[in-house]
Amino acid sequence: MLFSTMHLLLVEDDSELARQTGLWLREAGHSCAWREKGGAALVALGTENFDAVILDVGLPDMDGFTVVEQMRVRGFTLPVLFLTARDNVTDRVRGLKAGGDDYVTKPFAVEELMARLEALQRRAIGGVQPAVNRHLGRWTLDPVKRRLHADGETVELSPREWTLLEVLWANEGRTLTKKFLLEKVWDIQFDPGTNVVDAMICRLRRKIDAPGGPSHLQTVRGKGYVLQAVS
Amino acid sequence: MFSKLFPKRLPSTWRLGLLLTVLITCSTGLCITVAGWAMRRNLSSIARAVVLDDLGEYAVLYNRNGLREITEVFAAGGHEESQAVRITSAEGRAIFEQVPEAVGGYDWPDHAPVKMKPSETMLVTIQHSTRDQHLLAGCQVLDDGNVLWFGRTDAEDIAYVDHIRSQLWLAGLASTAFMLLPLWWFVRHVLNPVNELMNSARTLAQGRTDERLIAPHAVPELQAFAAAFNAGLDRIDALTSELQSANDNLAHELRTPLARIRGNLEIFHDHSENAQARDAAARGMEEIDRAADLVQTILTTRAGEHQALKLHLEPCDLRELLAQLHDLYQAAADERGLRFDLEAPFPQPALIDRQRINQAIANLLDNAFAYTPGRGRVTLALERRGGQIRILVKDDGPGLSDSDFQAVWRRYTRGSAATANTPGMGLGLSLVRALIHAHGGQTGCRNREEGGAEFWIDLPVGEAKSR
Repeated sequence: MLFSTMHLLLVEDDSELARQTGLWLREAGHSCAWREKGGAALVALGTENFDAVILDVGLPDMDGFTVVEQMRVRGFTLPVLFLTARDNVTDRVRGLKAGGDDYVTKPFAVEELMARLEALQRRAIGGVQPAVNRHLGRWTLDPVKRRLHADGETVELSPREWTLLEVLWANEGRTLTKKFLLEKVWDIQFDPGTNVVDAMICRLRRKIDAPGGPSHLQTVRGKGYVLQAVS
Repeated sequence: MFSKLFPKRLPSTWRLGLLLTVLITCSTGLCITVAGWAMRRNLSSIARAVVLDDLGEYAVLYNRNGLREITEVFAAGGHEESQAVRITSAEGRAIFEQVPEAVGGYDWPDHAPVKMKPSETMLVTIQHSTRDQHLLAGCQVLDDGNVLWFGRTDAEDIAYVDHIRSQLWLAGLASTAFMLLPLWWFVRHVLNPVNELMNSARTLAQGRTDERLIAPHAVPELQAFAAAFNAGLDRIDALTSELQSANDNLAHELRTPLARIRGNLEIFHDHSENAQARDAAARGMEEIDRAADLVQTILTTRAGEHQALKLHLEPCDLRELLAQLHDLYQAAADERGLRFDLEAPFPQPALIDRQRINQAIANLLDNAFAYTPGRGRVTLALERRGGQIRILVKDDGPGLSDSDFQAVWRRYTRGSAATANTPGMGLGLSLVRALIHAHGGQTGCRNREEGGAEFWIDLPVGEAKSR
């Protein structure tokens, strides 16, 4: 994989959440420093080199938006991922305007946090995935015509199915939550009720899996969906 | 009383203007009529006096020196153009005639109308043969038995009265212009401010609380009214922002512990090899996600109901938005064996919070999908109705009972067709209503004649502004 390990600054006033997040980050091979307050985080940025910041919006001394503004004023350009309990577009837009790069609402799944962090890293280092020679099991992916080929067989995907596959593909092996897929594929930031994602995953599964064979696309109860190529 | 005379929709400015103009015209007309009548009366009595006076003078001259004296007087000149002198014999033959052109056209009588004694005088009025003018003629029997006639035409008097009348009309017009000054004042200081206040109030009715009533040119009473009204709005605003921050705090207080529990469950799930334990943790995570959504729904509904919802308004095309939702639900519809149609025949730009409107429509679709049996049909449609846009979700389900129509929009109320297996807590439609009210729109529902229910969202187009 393209990603290297990151050294992260975690700014979170809730010690339990900080402990869990730190554990996940270390399990994923990253290292992290934890600060409880915005002021302390700004000091830490001046003394250590970090690859990215995970920043809670509701901090005791100043809100996360202010921390980012101050960071940007001081010339720190590293990516910032907001953690917040406030789930509305106005706050999201405010966070992005202040200089944040992405946004995770509590409660969140660890895989979602990782997926977003890696996307930020990818953007920061300007890495792009090679567009050719992508394979999923026996399938060869044709991103231009948005279809799959194998042994003279061709499967056409609708634009939305293709986007879904691409998002899953970009996070191969990682379980992605329904919330994350809704946002990335349909730009929807609420739960639309009816099992729309499940139905779409089933449809995609029917197109890419061999009948009766093992599935490339697994549902993990309580967590979400994961794309894992099977031969 | 007067208001009945005007068409209902005529603005007050025009009503007042018309009323003033009619009143001034009537009073000016009345003044002119009365003044004209009085002047004519005056002038005619002056004319009688002049005629009798001059008749007497000419009679004295004639009686003293005969016709020669009269001839000399006229030879000397200076005779008025509007006056004529005639002398006729007792038989009616004209002996002397001095009739200027202006006095021509009158049919003088040959004899005095009655038998008269010498030096007795009499007045007669002679109508002009073609014009609406009169000649006031006096006659006196002279000492030698001849008759002296002296006539004076009223042409000059009529011209004079007409002149005065036109001057009076001019004065009337000028006074009308002056009378319109109070109208101008009324329009500027009363009517226009009332209209401005009305516009502000309309904006407020659409849910904007940052608008204030402003009427800088208004009369003090209206300014006092606006100030009192604004004070009320300030108070509502303060309560709204209090509610907003209370909502934010509540969200934080509830979501953070949910996040802690979920995190621990996830760690447990990922590190446990026991399938049962993993399943239990997975169920726990599902419940937590549901609880987090519920908290968000309740807070959003509460904020929407109290006009405290922060909207992120952006221009977007409703047809495109509906097409995306149609696309999102299509797979789920196929899975259920439902026919799911989109009827959005025209692009419709609107200034809305895209996520919130999406969420409202998604809730209606979710409802329709839950209540429509297999092989049924759900339709998502866009219609134009006057200045409003209607988004409809029609289904083939069991429809609504009479008690449902209002009740379904309330929190924690489920329609009578809900069963134990129907998902939801009865919050969906109250959320829809709150989101749409926050946009200044309306929601409604009815049973379709062909069966099933129809829910709709009415949105004002382009009127709401960024909050």
